Amino acid sequence: MDKASKKKLTDFLLNYGIYIVFFLMIVAIIITDPKFVSLNTFTTILTQSSTRCILALGVAGLIVLAGTDLSVGRMVGLGGVLAASLLQAPDFARRIYPNLPSSWGFIALVILGVVLLLALASTVSGVMVATLHMHPFIATLGMQLILYGVCSTYYNQIGGSPIGSLNENFKNIAQGKLIDLGANGSISYLLIYAIIAIGIMWFIWNKTRLGKNMFAVGGNSEAAEVSGVNVTKTIIMVFMMAGICYGFASVLELGRTGSATNNLGVNYELDAISACVVGGVSFNGGVGSIGGVVLGVLLLQVINYGLAFINVDPYLQYIVRGLIILVAVSIDMRKYVKKK
Amino acid sequence: MKMKMKKLLAAMLACAMLASFAACSSSEDKPAADNKPAETTEKTEDKKEETKKDDTTAAELPAIGVTIYKYDDNFMTYTRKAMENAAKDVAVLNLNDSQNDQTKQLEQIDVLINQGVKALIINLVDPSNAPVVAEKAKAANIPVVFVNKEYPEGTDKIDYDKCVYVGTTSEESGIIQGQLILDAWNANKETWDKNGDGKLQYVMLMGEVGHPDAEARTKYSIQTLNDNGVETQELANQSATWDTAKAKDLMDTWLVKFPTEIEAVICNNDGMAMGAIESLKGAGYFADGKYMPVFGVDALPEALDLIEAGEMAGTVLNDPLNQGKACVELAANYAAGKDPLEGTSWKLDETKAVRVPYQAITIDNLDVAREAYGN
Repeated sequence: MDKASKKKLTDFLLNYGIYIVFFLMIVAIIITDPKFVSLNTFTTILTQSSTRCILALGVAGLIVLAGTDLSVGRMVGLGGVLAASLLQAPDFARRIYPNLPSSWGFIALVILGVVLLLALASTVSGVMVATLHMHPFIATLGMQLILYGVCSTYYNQIGGSPIGSLNENFKNIAQGKLIDLGANGSISYLLIYAIIAIGIMWFIWNKTRLGKNMFAVGGNSEAAEVSGVNVTKTIIMVFMMAGICYGFASVLELGRTGSATNNLGVNYELDAISACVVGGVSFNGGVGSIGGVVLGVLLLQVINYGLAFINVDPYLQYIVRGLIILVAVSIDMRKYVKKK
Repeated sequence: MKMKMKKLLAAMLACAMLASFAACSSSEDKPAADNKPAETTEKTEDKKEETKKDDTTAAELPAIGVTIYKYDDNFMTYTRKAMENAAKDVAVLNLNDSQNDQTKQLEQIDVLINQGVKALIINLVDPSNAPVVAEKAKAANIPVVFVNKEYPEGTDKIDYDKCVYVGTTSEESGIIQGQLILDAWNANKETWDKNGDGKLQYVMLMGEVGHPDAEARTKYSIQTLNDNGVETQELANQSATWDTAKAKDLMDTWLVKFPTEIEAVICNNDGMAMGAIESLKGAGYFADGKYMPVFGVDALPEALDLIEAGEMAGTVLNDPLNQGKACVELAANYAAGKDPLEGTSWKLDETKAVRVPYQAITIDNLDVAREAYGN
């Protein structure tokens, strides 16, 4: 093998290493249990990936800015608990707020309210990062604790027990079936929302000034500033965009799960961030694509689902997930070191 | 202009933070403030002619320090509320959230001891840490009531005479769940045994791996079935870490893998049972005669509603009302320098533990569970 083709091979392995790992794992899962290959598996993974995808799309922008967001899970928790308390079935005897309406208009109002609230919370983190130059890790860590505290205080006030018996119309928004394949599962409405979110985010990332500025700021914020990009505004806008994603994802996750506790969403940020990393969004900022994020979410969910499918010991699952992240990041770092 | 904006923003942020602090402290400072009310109430009494009866009694109530392993545990939230109710005219509780961190809890206990509480109610994060806590308490001569998480060697093995345990045995919740499933299986074998092989094919949703309750419930529920002559076959067993959303994901997975084989879903807690039921509903169960028995533990109000609606087969009541009550009664006796059991109906077993019994809950005795949760 001559030098050039050897280099090509290493480049190929470097660029696609993580996908090769995934491919091998999926093959291993299929060999262990061939029943894994079914239409039902496919539809279930798509459904389970939908809300995760919307969350990952939100956090991806922040990672492109060379930041992160530790508050994702608690955002989902707060949004979920709030919406659950307001959207209980009208005929449920132990309704927390017995006199609330249950019309479609009210459902829409609650969803909008939750989205606005979480967008606001995320914007506050963004303002701190952009104007006080706080590290996003710290700003969102603070936000995470505050959100959890607020959510738990509220949850405790309204009874401190899982809030379920939700309005069927609301649940249908998330769980409703677009295509019912009977014994082969179903394509849920969730998938449509995920596709819409992917479309909108793809447009923002690739076709708008905000998207271009985001990559410029993430790549090198000083250079971006010098070339006339409003760095402060860009950072705040990306945080707000993330908050909007979390808002929609939180109500969809509530609709999907059917009940909420103050623990809803715990550690979801880790899933979302790992999906971005696996999908090639670089922690060093300035690099990433919507397609990569979507692929990352799907691959991680295939593995999550697959490991449970073949009944792998839970402790081992942690190790596998940890290894995946390390492999993904080490490949990312190699690319980065090479670029330098 | 830009500086001005920044300053304005900073000021706004500061205001928002202050406001949130004020909001937090107004609710959370209460127990701490009640801790040393003696001087303040006396002063106000001097100033005001009319003395408030409540204030004077509050001043005489003993302070009891409480640490809860984590506040977002549903069951411990009920126990905590039961403690607060039971303590109303008996003691002033100084409550702490240990946030599932044993180191944090030990620090909180140091603070409580320094504050001079008369007794401690400790819900350990790590049960094996009981002797460490007892040692601290012994040095300050403060009695301890451990609750809900039991020292694995037995509370009688701790080198401190003024400590007792209130709770249940982890095994018992599993055994009661096993009996619940056993009775239901024997009564419905005709319809539940889908493949007619006489064996119970089940999937198990486990709590946190390594958690004593999760391990014991998983083991003893099945063992009880087997000991009573029911053959079982485990189709899958995974941990959903007590979480509803994770349980739903796992159940989705299993319904793909075992579309017709599963005959029962056994869950270590009700939260996971709720997730499993949501998943089953999505697959068309609990309608048009399609049924799947789901069992949980905890008897949460939400689970009781599901049982009433015929969507959950049964649960096990871990009685938070009586556990909370027992803790406060014992701790208050200790604080008054009396024998912990004096004037109560509780009994200590040979390991210095007060056992609050578990109860199986089905559609036939929902009232019992509803009463225990105070609705």
